[in-house]
Amino acid sequence: MTAWRQLVEIARKDLRLEARSGEALLVTTPFGAVALLFVPLAVGTDTPLLRGIGPGLYWVVVLLFGLLVTLRTSAVDTPPQIALLRLCGVHSVVRLAGRAAASALLLLAFELLLVPVAVALYDPAPHGWPWLLVVLPLVAAGLGLLGTLAGALAQGLDGRTTLGPVLVLPLAVPLLLGATQAPAAAALGHAPWPWLLLMLTVDLIAALALLLGAPHLEEVA
Amino acid sequence: MTLFGRRLPIIAAVLLAVGLVAGLVAPPDRIQGNLQRLMYVHVPAAWLAFLGFAITFGASLAWLWRRKPRYDRLAASAAEVGVFFTGLAIVLGSVWGKPVWGVWWTWDPRLVTTALMFFVYLGYLALRRATLDPLVRARRAAVFGVLAFVQVPIVHMSVLWWRSLHQPPTVLKPGDPTIDHSMLAALLVNVLAFTAVFALFVRARVRLAVAQDEEDTLPGPLAGDVVTAPRLEGVSRDE
Repeated sequence: MTAWRQLVEIARKDLRLEARSGEALLVTTPFGAVALLFVPLAVGTDTPLLRGIGPGLYWVVVLLFGLLVTLRTSAVDTPPQIALLRLCGVHSVVRLAGRAAASALLLLAFELLLVPVAVALYDPAPHGWPWLLVVLPLVAAGLGLLGTLAGALAQGLDGRTTLGPVLVLPLAVPLLLGATQAPAAAALGHAPWPWLLLMLTVDLIAALALLLGAPHLEEVA
Repeated sequence: MTLFGRRLPIIAAVLLAVGLVAGLVAPPDRIQGNLQRLMYVHVPAAWLAFLGFAITFGASLAWLWRRKPRYDRLAASAAEVGVFFTGLAIVLGSVWGKPVWGVWWTWDPRLVTTALMFFVYLGYLALRRATLDPLVRARRAAVFGVLAFVQVPIVHMSVLWWRSLHQPPTVLKPGDPTIDHSMLAALLVNVLAFTAVFALFVRARVRLAVAQDEEDTLPGPLAGDVVTAPRLEGVSRDE
């Protein structure tokens, strides 16, 4: 079996587990929606204010809760399972890349499910929205890669779900900046390419870190 | 061997005293007056935070290459001291910022990226604390120690890449430093003094780590050792 085929199978396995449990999309997504619902109750239900802060709040919720989605998928990895994959000849890079691919797809679905909630609750201005077609996958890919790294670093630890976000959330700040600023720049008539390039750079650095760090993290497992 | 040693604490104390005098006799800033003297502690603290994280980065790479425990101990010690100096730089900057900028905190790129760097390395220390097995801890920390270093150049360049309230580099830049030379001399003396303190802290922390490792490898007492077996000699079973 080629490495690519292995990667696809591992990603499919993770997605199949999610389809059976529904933990990410049926539990974490409603939790994120509740967070979006709570904020106006705390800051005030002033419509112009909410219209202004809505997009930013949406991305904060995506980052915070999205990392929970990626860390949830790493919970199913037990040492015997990892040992079995190793015996089957699955390289650590392939295993983590498959996990990152599945996480990115799940995150994309998570983002798409939260978009109508944010639109309904905050009624943001529609300018620059077509750029979301690029921004959403870039954030999903970056967060999927960073979350996979965090999951591998905190593998088997008791405080995995709290430690993981602490490790990688500060590194995900450029994704938050890019995601909020790209549509805003487009709405003002500016080219959003620098922000998209920033997000792409973070994605590539995270992919490189996964590529170089995976063999060492495999030994951890 | 004592924890702090004998000569280095004396050297550090003398240098700190000289640095204090140099900071006090240096001319005051034309606009900020004596407030500017905070620079003589704020800037060395920030530079030593960078140095600490650079050592963590180098020692992490060395551990991944050589797998020697001393590199892991050095990486951890430098990170701890680096986090301390980062916190000190943030607090001193905040104290300086209140009278000059009018606020304790502002959403300036240098401040935000420094705070993020602080949290990244707090995460590094949390990761170490959460992992009990020494080998696994060293491996995870080394991988994260390399990854986390990406923050350091971002913090340094933040004042050049984005519009910033914080002043741009005056010394660590190409060309002649844009600072009065007597002020620069006082600053460099304080950097030297703080570096001695940094070395003192890192060495003490490494020695503590060595002692901890030695204790962990020694066969320790068992919980049952404190209980002495009852003497049954000369005692009838019926009593």
